[in-house]
Amino acid sequence: MLAAGLFAAHAAASARATQESAPTSTHSTRESQTVIDETDRHVTVPADVRRIVSLAPNLTETIYALGAESRLAGDTDYCDVPPDARTKPHVGSILSPSLEAIVGLKPDLVLASTTINRRETVDALEHLGVAVYSTDPHSIDDLLAGIEHLAGILGIAPQGHELVERLQARLAAVQTALADQPRSRVLFVVWDDPLISIGPHTFIADALRRAGAESVVETTQNWPHVSLESIVHSQPEYLIFVGDHGDNVPTPSDLRARPVWRDLNAVKQGNIAVVSGEVDRPSPGLIDAIENLAKQLHPSAFANSAAESTR
Amino acid sequence: MQPMTPRRILGVCAILASALFVAMVVSLRLGAYPMSVTSVVTTLYHGAIGQMDRIPSDFRLVIFGIRLPRIAMGIVVGASLAVAGAGFQSLLRNPLADPYVLGVSTGAALGAIISLIVAPHVPLAMQIAAFAGAAATIAAVYFLGRRGGQLDSATLLLAGIISASFLSAVIMFLMTTLSGRDLRGMAFWLMGDLATPPQISISFLFVVMIAAAGAIYTTASDLNLILTGEQEARHLGVNVARVKIVVYISASLLTGLAVSVSGAIGYVGLLVPHVMRMMFGSDYRVLIPASAFGGAIAIVLADTLARTVVAPTELPVGAMTAIVGAPVFIYLLRRRVR
Repeated sequence: MLAAGLFAAHAAASARATQESAPTSTHSTRESQTVIDETDRHVTVPADVRRIVSLAPNLTETIYALGAESRLAGDTDYCDVPPDARTKPHVGSILSPSLEAIVGLKPDLVLASTTINRRETVDALEHLGVAVYSTDPHSIDDLLAGIEHLAGILGIAPQGHELVERLQARLAAVQTALADQPRSRVLFVVWDDPLISIGPHTFIADALRRAGAESVVETTQNWPHVSLESIVHSQPEYLIFVGDHGDNVPTPSDLRARPVWRDLNAVKQGNIAVVSGEVDRPSPGLIDAIENLAKQLHPSAFANSAAESTR
Repeated sequence: MQPMTPRRILGVCAILASALFVAMVVSLRLGAYPMSVTSVVTTLYHGAIGQMDRIPSDFRLVIFGIRLPRIAMGIVVGASLAVAGAGFQSLLRNPLADPYVLGVSTGAALGAIISLIVAPHVPLAMQIAAFAGAAATIAAVYFLGRRGGQLDSATLLLAGIISASFLSAVIMFLMTTLSGRDLRGMAFWLMGDLATPPQISISFLFVVMIAAAGAIYTTASDLNLILTGEQEARHLGVNVARVKIVVYISASLLTGLAVSVSGAIGYVGLLVPHVMRMMFGSDYRVLIPASAFGGAIAIVLADTLARTVVAPTELPVGAMTAIVGAPVFIYLLRRRVR
């Protein structure tokens, strides 16, 4: 694995060298690099990846954050961040994209996510000889390491490093602000009917920890189906809902009218946080969601800095 | 009724084979990647004479890598399900029998899921487990569906529906043990999906399908006699028990084969033999080959729709067959009751 990594680094370096000396290199003579993706698959891609198809909104967003959007040849119907991603050719939904639409875009590299795409799609593309790189982040550290690795494959390691450093600095600032704060006990609502929450081995659980919260749901599953009864028993301090542009999120008055929900202390006290859909996406935008959530859950920790910045 | 000569059987087959060819051409032409008829034809021509390198690489991938294998799979699955349906209808002497309605597909799916959990990556394990699941389910439904020693049409269908719901519950339970990633794949597969290439070679599937359908075909004349009554058939020298065993094993094998590659695609096994009966009569000597072709046509067309209606997103083909199949099933059921 180390050897392959070194080889990849070497290939990338030599690719940069050849690009400088021979910018007119044609398709047939392109050098290739072999890299290992986050599911331990060996993926052979051209040393200079020119055409990328993203099968997951978070990866589309990452490509934009790395400034490599000009190489993004296509994405999915669900890729909406940043808004420009909507203008790229679409290859279908995240669960059942059209293989021929992907092949038709002649990608050097297809990006997939284990949390969003189907293994079958990846297998089928690989069978067709299309290079697919799968990401599989289970924590914020995984996410950041993945961004740097991907930037290396695209030959833009410095940009990747800079982006990750910037994100890490923001995370550190949140951590400093929350240093004296006790963690809030929260219920993270992935879906409210039926009630689906998160398990401890998800990147969302890690995002909650970094925002000064911990989930009240004890489970080994990643996306557990939870009974409302167990939530009444554990009485979380905050309920966290996910919503974009205010859609599908119950308002505090909605919850006060719902049986059982209205008996939760968090609902009675109006301790309801709404965090943007970015929290569902392992991408740079997740850091925005962490900052936003930390401010909602621990307003006092950020009161001073807000006052300082307005002064 | 016209006499059933080999000439007439071949004539029916020729008509249906031409229809299948047309369906294949339509399916090859349509898809998310736009291709003209001319480029489809020249790609096929160069492929047929072995000049693969003269085809643009995109066309080669789309036609030979994606569409043709998928059509071939559709043919295997459609023919298997329709012949299995015709077989179950004769075995149970019930025109509403179908691998899906009887819970046999669900049994096969359960077998396949167990094999995926217990022995993933073992070649043929999934096919064998799906066959075992199908065979066990049809045996259970057969015994549950009898009243006073006789097969009762309504009881049989109820037994099938109840078996299917029980087996689905077991599947739901097993699926909670899977990770989210396997779960999404499994949910798609259960709906009936041809988008994923099978793990084993398509030519092997073809050989098994033709062998099992051929085995049922050898009993066609006997099935005709059994249709008039088992007692009468016995008097005419038909070994009813042997015929039943052959049909039972072959139809279970066909169901297991179809389910193992494409999940539970419903209603093809029911509707295709019905339509074929309406068009060509109920003589099993013509009904079985006609059902094989008809099933292949039905699935190739249904899958073409599934690939194109909301392109580039793809629907599971099982959703397409159920949308058409369920209302027709209800129509047939009501017509019988009246």
